Amino acid sequence: DTWVVKVELTLEGLGLLLWGQDLVEAVLAEDGHLALVVLSSGRDVATMSTMFADTILIVFISVCTALLAEGITWVLVYRTEKYKRLKAEVEKQSKKLEKKKETITESAGRQQKKKIERQEEKLKNNNRDLSMVRMKSMFAIGFCFTALMGMFNSIFDGRVVAKLPFVPLSYIQGLSHRNLLGEDYTDCSFIFLYILCTMSIRQNIQKMLGLAPSRAATKQAGGFLGPPPQTAKFS
Amino acid sequence: MASSSKRKEESHLLNGAVKQSTWSKAFCSNAVWEEKDEFLDVIYWLRQIIAVILGVIWGVAPLKGFLGIAIFCVINAGLLYVYFSSFQQIDEEEYGGTWELTKEGFMTSFALFLVVWIIFYTALHYD
Repeated sequence: DTWVVKVELTLEGLGLLLWGQDLVEAVLAEDGHLALVVLSSGRDVATMSTMFADTILIVFISVCTALLAEGITWVLVYRTEKYKRLKAEVEKQSKKLEKKKETITESAGRQQKKKIERQEEKLKNNNRDLSMVRMKSMFAIGFCFTALMGMFNSIFDGRVVAKLPFVPLSYIQGLSHRNLLGEDYTDCSFIFLYILCTMSIRQNIQKMLGLAPSRAATKQAGGFLGPPPQTAKFS
Repeated sequence: MASSSKRKEESHLLNGAVKQSTWSKAFCSNAVWEEKDEFLDVIYWLRQIIAVILGVIWGVAPLKGFLGIAIFCVINAGLLYVYFSSFQQIDEEEYGGTWELTKEGFMTSFALFLVVWIIFYTALHYD
């Protein structure tokens, strides 16, 4: 006689061990309990769990590099008197300038307009000096990061570090599918995930630590998408 | 941000009594914002929080493809628009217009959303 038994199983607690395509044999043991034996994996479990470990590792690397960048900048720039003085000047001036610009009318005398122009000049010069001071740290960071990125790129070369829930636009695929084999464009390469992480984490860290320049200063300096980022050079 | 960090110092000195003020103002309808930067900061951080929440939901659901991205943008912009125009009823002109308010922190929140979405999607639905 053949008995056909339908068995419903809840797989809680098995976590990442069983996936959709896994082949499982149910064996009735002598003492009457049912044992599940995994005959074959639909997918290599080892690779899958490693990939997620990579994903988290890259986020962690991104946080560390953002903190490192801010740390270097703090040592070389933020704690110097010159920078603090310049920054305070720039913020005071830009706020004053903005207020003046708001209250000015078309019919304001040439004197007023000239005064504003002069203040703008002064502000621009101060901003330029501020950028020069920052430049020193940017070089140090750029140098550091070129070496770091070279190392990470070789470590993660060819590795799929995450799965994208969308297919990126073709010109982004050059970045998101960089150095990866195959045609599956939902595979994510190290550099793409790293860039995304850096974009989100670094600015938030700067804001949280109170290191980001004020909006008025950014506007006068012509910032577009936000405070001028401490750019990391990556090869 | 010199002014906001100064405010934070003040609030620490007063033993946290004043610290509530920015966030309690944020959740209190029609609050008065003397410092423009303070309100812009609130908008910025609300955007980041929304990005994280939506990233988790999108990753768990899972919601895939450009539809997911489009819906995120609509919800992010829309929710905050409702917040600053109806709930807080601020004068947009004071801040440089609706576009300035919408731009505030948008790119960062978008990147954050993508990261969270990718993480949760990879963890739960690599299929």
